[in-house]
Amino acid sequence: MAKPDLIDAPSRRDQTLAITLTVAAAYLPLGRFMAWEVSAFLALVLVLRFAAARWPAATPGRWTLLILTLVGGLNCLVANQSLVGKVGGTALLVTMLALKLLELRTRRDHRVVAIVLGLLITVQFLFDRGLGLTLYLGAVAVMTVALLVDLNGGLGAAPWRRTAAVTARLTLQAAPLTVVLFLLFPRLDAPLWNLGLERDTGTIGMTDHLEPGSVGELVINGELAFRARFATPAPKRQQLYWRGLVLWEVDDRRWSQGADLPPGKADRLAQMADLIDYEVVLEPSRQRWLFTLDLPAQAPDEYPADTRLGAGFALTATAPISSAKRYHARSALSYQTKAPSEAERRYALQVPRNVTARMRSLVAGWSRDGATDWDLVQAGLNFFNHEEFHYTLLPPRLGANPWDEFLFETRSGFCEHYAGSFAILMRLAGVPARVVLGYLGGEPNRIGGYHMVWQSDAHAWVEVAIAGRGWVRVDPTSAVASFRVDNQGASRLLGAGAPLRFQIDAAGPLGRAIRQLRYLADSVDAAWQGWVLDFSSEEQKRLVDGLGLREYGELALAGIMMTSVALVMGLILLALMRQAQPQDPVTRSYSLLCRRLARVGLTRASGEGPADFARRVGAARPDLAVAVGQIVGLYVRCHFTAHHTTADGERLALRVRAFRPRAARHPPGPRDQRG
Amino acid sequence: MSATGAGGGGFRANLQRRLQDLLRKAPLDADGIARIAAAQIYIMPTPTGLLYAIAAFTMLMGSLNYQNNLGLMFTFFLVAVGLVAMHHCWFNLLGLAVQVRPGPAVFAGTPAQFEVTLHNTRAAARFDLRLAGGIDPGTPVCLNARDQQMVLLGLPTRRRGLLALPAVELETRHPMHLFRAWSYAQSGAQTLVYPRPAATAPAPVQDQGQARRPAQRGGEGRDDYLGPREYRYGDSPRHLDWKALARERGLIVKQFGGEEGLDVWIDWAQLSTPDPELRISLLTRQLLDTARSQVRFGLRLPGRELPLDRGQIHLQQCLAALALFNPGGDGIGNHGQA
Repeated sequence: MAKPDLIDAPSRRDQTLAITLTVAAAYLPLGRFMAWEVSAFLALVLVLRFAAARWPAATPGRWTLLILTLVGGLNCLVANQSLVGKVGGTALLVTMLALKLLELRTRRDHRVVAIVLGLLITVQFLFDRGLGLTLYLGAVAVMTVALLVDLNGGLGAAPWRRTAAVTARLTLQAAPLTVVLFLLFPRLDAPLWNLGLERDTGTIGMTDHLEPGSVGELVINGELAFRARFATPAPKRQQLYWRGLVLWEVDDRRWSQGADLPPGKADRLAQMADLIDYEVVLEPSRQRWLFTLDLPAQAPDEYPADTRLGAGFALTATAPISSAKRYHARSALSYQTKAPSEAERRYALQVPRNVTARMRSLVAGWSRDGATDWDLVQAGLNFFNHEEFHYTLLPPRLGANPWDEFLFETRSGFCEHYAGSFAILMRLAGVPARVVLGYLGGEPNRIGGYHMVWQSDAHAWVEVAIAGRGWVRVDPTSAVASFRVDNQGASRLLGAGAPLRFQIDAAGPLGRAIRQLRYLADSVDAAWQGWVLDFSSEEQKRLVDGLGLREYGELALAGIMMTSVALVMGLILLALMRQAQPQDPVTRSYSLLCRRLARVGLTRASGEGPADFARRVGAARPDLAVAVGQIVGLYVRCHFTAHHTTADGERLALRVRAFRPRAARHPPGPRDQRG
Repeated sequence: MSATGAGGGGFRANLQRRLQDLLRKAPLDADGIARIAAAQIYIMPTPTGLLYAIAAFTMLMGSLNYQNNLGLMFTFFLVAVGLVAMHHCWFNLLGLAVQVRPGPAVFAGTPAQFEVTLHNTRAAARFDLRLAGGIDPGTPVCLNARDQQMVLLGLPTRRRGLLALPAVELETRHPMHLFRAWSYAQSGAQTLVYPRPAATAPAPVQDQGQARRPAQRGGEGRDDYLGPREYRYGDSPRHLDWKALARERGLIVKQFGGEEGLDVWIDWAQLSTPDPELRISLLTRQLLDTARSQVRFGLRLPGRELPLDRGQIHLQQCLAALALFNPGGDGIGNHGQA
């Protein structure tokens, strides 16, 4: 076997430059996830690479490379404190790939870089899965294929154009195969091993507690929380209370979930109406809670398998949500829960130790005239409405006792301030209360036919237990007089993406057009999410079930995959064969003539030239001599002389087609039989 | 390489030949052209292809484990490109027409040339075709649609005799160097390898003992001396102008004219060297030396005699007789059985 070194031509400088630029292009989107030291090292290596390409004498020697390798490794270690894991491992891969760029001598080196580039592309999807990035990296991948084609060479004249043509053919033919493999390759339901790739990432979205300022931070983060698609007409915006987690315990600063209560008897609905079915696609949050409309109304066994309905109708997943989560749910917009147990009531009446005297006297003022619990709730809401309370995303900082300071001094805050302090006031008044964290509203996307719920729709509200009515939702934030809502601050912080509750109008037709574009982009994104990112073994199972092959399971899937791949490959080969006609038309005409003559017993001997054959035919069948002589004359002119025209070829084809010899009446030999 | 002949005894060579016979080769058709068919194409991944496969497998495992659909999609893209490339590689050889013609005869030790014509009858181009096993790897050939090209295949020669090239090995790594497809195309081509001339040889026998050989007249030359010329490979050192060499004028050979009518017999029986191959080599030297002068010469071998004649064609016949001479047996032997 020939050694690859022998047959490999030396690499060209433009190949070196092309592969260097491709590596740089592949790293570009990754840069924002890497420590700046890693990017800086890559930039240094690129500078060295270009210098070496310009002045070959500047190519780093063996010792320089060794030192650079050590520096690069140390750099990764210093930047990430680790050489493994998602960020650490990727940084190391990037560093080593960059160093290999300084050692591009043979074409083999170039090929190694091109192949490792594929790894770099794949690794990036651990960081970002957007459609734009995918398209960009797709272009990089095609470029990698082109580099490999160009490195193999042997393309004759105009190598760049031919490289492009060959690459286009390869990738276009690979595309259907890719789709088949993607759809049918059996997936794992759970990871086989865990390298702790998710360890070094924080959570996204809602936290598990509420303190002044926490929701406000979330609102400023303008990312998407989830998408919801209603099976029935969507409810009104003010009905869209997306329930997340329920907070029971309060201390000096924060509300938290507290003890993990089992679902009590209050966690069943006494009455329900206005049922609504919907599907939610939750963006990965690395948290466990799922969001349902107030209030989820399914039987306990109707919830998705890997979820659990806890106390206070809080639906949680059994594992943190690391990839987009799709689930169906049904909720009742009008409902009445059963009465809470005595233990629950007691739990929902605890107050923090830093309750001040003026808080107590405020509440005492409301309950003075022997009012009902509901009257107390109304009194609390009136307090927020009539006093100088402001609704703003930019509240002043609160000191040691945030509840008291908010209620009596600053009096401006966001939903967490209102919900947190209102619940405390209710508990002081003897009304069991709890805080619910979730989202309010959602932006209808008419193009996509679903609602987009943003992190900026995050909201906190209160539920109070009223005798005879169970837990009742109260939203103290809505009690704030609308003229005291600070739209300007919200507009400044959130721009056109501000939630509708601030009632910021999109400015004129341009703003509306931009909003429509945003809806369109999000629809594409949602489709991407649904069709590509969320594609899983469930869809594959559905396909196998649909074909009635359920009992064969993965085996059936593998079988379908093999068959489909073979089928696609066969089609590709068929296309190749058709595209490459084995014979030119002149030869084809001549072989047709030979076939027709053979049918009447005049078979051309192997190695017999056309003129000799024509002479023999003429001798054996004088009646055919003229026709065959003309045809062969044309054939000889077309095939063996340089100056013939395509018209000659066409005339030859016409004549041959018209030539239909009959068997001789007096057969010259036993072979002359019409078949 | 698949060239056999010009010697090649021994167990290993035999075994190699047997194995070669087991390989599928594209057969010659009536016109002496071999067309590579599907069943005659071999294909294996290259080291680059193996690296590619390892990279793809790593990506597959990682993406499957972390249920990363985009990673899977890109992995499958690479896998699909690899699969398509494999078929393109195979397809690049399919249907290629190969015709081999022998080059001129050579002396043992100098490379024998074969002219390999590659003919692409397709309406699409073929890329990166190479002849494997030649002395130098050469540049890859690209054949445009319905194009043909001639490539020289040089083979080393060590022994005299017929050098048959039973098959040529064609290979391609198109399009991505991931796979190497190769095929053996039969060829009926064989070329003659003359014996390697000895560096020096004793003077051949003069006809009937008449001392008319110029060298033996001590180079006095009288009117027979034609003048000096530069030394050429194969000139006898006895014709060297030693005085000129001593004066540092380089290697000069004295040329003698007027040798017409001199007859020289190159005679196997006149040499006493026991080793037959060495004797043949000496005879070759004598032939070349003699043919350079204008004398008539003949060749006597056991069981064969080529009559006195002069000229290039006669020389070639004599060399061919020497090349094919079988000293152990009954005259002419053909070493290289195709």
